[in-house]
Amino acid sequence: MYFLDDYSGIFVRYDLKRERGEARAVAAEDEVMQNVIQCVVEGDTDNIGAVVRKALETKDPMDVINALVKGMNEVSRLWDEGVYYLPQTILSSDAMLEGIEICEEKMGKALAKKGVVITHTAEGDIHDLGQKIANALLRANGYQVIDLGKDVPVDDVVAAVKQHKPAMVTGTALMTTTMTAFERISKRLVREGISLPFVCGGGAVSEEYVTSFDLGIWGKDASQAPLMAADAVSGKDWRQMREKWNG
Amino acid sequence: MDKVKLSGRERMFKALKGEKTDRLPVLCVNQTATYEQMEQLGAYWPEANFRAEEMARLASGAYSILGFDAVRVPFCQTIEAEALGCPIKDGGSKNVPSPAAYPYKPDERPVMPEDYLQRGRIPELIQALKLLKEMVGDEVLVIGGIIGPYSIAGSLIGVTDLLRNSFRKPHLVEPFMEIGEVAGRLLARELIKAGADAICIEDMMASLDMISPKIYREIVLPWQKKLLAELQDIPTIIHICGKLDDVIEDIAGLGVTAISVETKVDAPKAIEKLKKFDRHIPLLGGVDAAHTLFSGNVEKVKSEVKKAIEDGYHMIAPGCSIPPATSIASLRAMVEQVEEGFMK
Repeated sequence: MYFLDDYSGIFVRYDLKRERGEARAVAAEDEVMQNVIQCVVEGDTDNIGAVVRKALETKDPMDVINALVKGMNEVSRLWDEGVYYLPQTILSSDAMLEGIEICEEKMGKALAKKGVVITHTAEGDIHDLGQKIANALLRANGYQVIDLGKDVPVDDVVAAVKQHKPAMVTGTALMTTTMTAFERISKRLVREGISLPFVCGGGAVSEEYVTSFDLGIWGKDASQAPLMAADAVSGKDWRQMREKWNG
Repeated sequence: MDKVKLSGRERMFKALKGEKTDRLPVLCVNQTATYEQMEQLGAYWPEANFRAEEMARLASGAYSILGFDAVRVPFCQTIEAEALGCPIKDGGSKNVPSPAAYPYKPDERPVMPEDYLQRGRIPELIQALKLLKEMVGDEVLVIGGIIGPYSIAGSLIGVTDLLRNSFRKPHLVEPFMEIGEVAGRLLARELIKAGADAICIEDMMASLDMISPKIYREIVLPWQKKLLAELQDIPTIIHICGKLDDVIEDIAGLGVTAISVETKVDAPKAIEKLKKFDRHIPLLGGVDAAHTLFSGNVEKVKSEVKKAIEDGYHMIAPGCSIPPATSIASLRAMVEQVEEGFMK
C-alpha cells in the first residue's frame, strides 16, 4: 500500500490557511490512483487526461472511475464545510467528467445506469451552477442525467419528462425572481396525470414553498441529489420522499 | 424627540447621512415589481422592461402601493450586458429578461461600443428614470440601478466560465472587469444626469456563495473601488448577495455610502465592524425575500422586521430582489411594522 506522507502540497492552493474545515487526506492504494484523485481534488483539467490514461495502462477502468468519484467526494466534503468555493468545485467536476469519459471510451460502452434523472434550471434563471454540481454528483453515482440546461421554459421540462420518463426531475433557481416556475411545472405534470418526485433547490428556494405544491420535494443542497435519486429509483413516491427529506 | 413626519425622500437622505429620522426608512434597492402591482397599475412585463412609460409606472408602485421610501428602475439585470452585445430573451409576463447567449468567449477581448449609451434599452431606461422623477421624485428617493463589473462580466462570458477563469486564469477576466466598470459607470452618469438621487450597484456574482474572499479581493474589489471612486458626488448603495461576513470591511472600504445585504449576514457583527470606519455606513436589509416575503405571511414579515430593528439595521429592506409573486400585503407589512414600532 502506498500513501502520501504529506498532503499539504495538494491543498495549499485552496485558501486553506483560513478555512473552517480541515483537509482530510484521501488516499488510494498506489501512486497512479493517488494522482487521479489528486487531479480531481485540484480541479486540474490540464493533466487529468494524461493521468487517467496512465492509470488505465495498468488498472481496470471501473477502478479508475471509482478513484475519480473518490476525489469528487472529497471535493463535496470540502464544499460542504465551506472550504471550497464554486470555482474549485466546477473545475473538479470538469476534471472528473473528463476522466469518466476517457474510462468509458476504454470500456467500449457507457456504464450501465441506475436510472434516469432530468435536471434543469428555472425559466429566467441563468445561474445553473447548483444544477451542474448536482449533475456531476448524479453522474458520478451512476445515474444517467438528461441536462436540460439553464433558463428552461416550463413547457420544455414537461415535454422532456413525458419523453424520457425519468425516475426523478430536479429544478434549480438562484434568483428570487424565477422560482415560481416550479409550481407551474408541478401543475402541468399533475394535470397530465404524471406523478414523479420533483426535487427543487437553490439559493432562493424555500422548503415552505416547495412543499406547498404537489410533487415538490425541497433539496437542501446538491449533495442530496444522488441519495434522493436512489430513493426514487427504488420506487419511493414523492409523498414518501417528502416525508423522509423534508419537514 | 419631535415626531415630525418626514417625506420618504427626506428620511432617506437623512438616514444615508446617519442623521436622526422619525422612523427607519423602508425600501428595496433591488427589483420591486410584483404581479399584483402590475394589475393595479396596468403596467406589465415584458413591456415594462422595454418601454420607458410602463417601466416608470410600474416602478412608482414601490411608493404609491407599497409605501416604500424609495423607488428604482430598472427591474432586470441585463441593461448594460444587452448594450454590450448580449442577446436578450424578453422573459414574457412572468420573468425578467435574461441573457439568451453569451456574446464573448472567455479568452476573447470585449470591445466597448462607441454608441454604448444609445444601444439596447439604455435610452428607455434613462427616459423611465426622468418620468419616475417627475411622478414621485418630490416624495421619495429615486434610485438608478446599475450592475457591478463582475456580474456584467458574467453576462458577457457566462457565469461558469467566469468562475473557472477567476480561479485559473484571472488575467483573462481582467478585460471583462474593465469593460464592466466602464459600462456601469457610463450608465450611472446618464442616470444621474436624468435626475437619479442615488445609484444602486448590484453585483450579485461577487457573492461569497460564488467566489472565495481571495478572488473577491484580488479580482473584483479593485474594479468596484474604481467604479465607486467615479461616483463620489452622489449617494451609492452596493448590493451583493450571500454571506458576506468575511468581506464586509472590504466592502465598506470601497467608498460606498451604504451596504445592502441578505439576511444570511450576521447583522449585529457587521454593524460592529462598520463602526470602525470614520463615517457612518448604513446597513440595509433584514427581511428574507424568498422565505419571508414570498413564502411567509404578514405575521412572519412583521416579526422579522422587529428582529431586524433589534439587530440594528439602519434601513429595513428585502435582502434581495422581490420575488414578483410576492403579495402586496407582505410588502406593506414591512412599512406597517416599522411605523408601529416607532409610534411608541
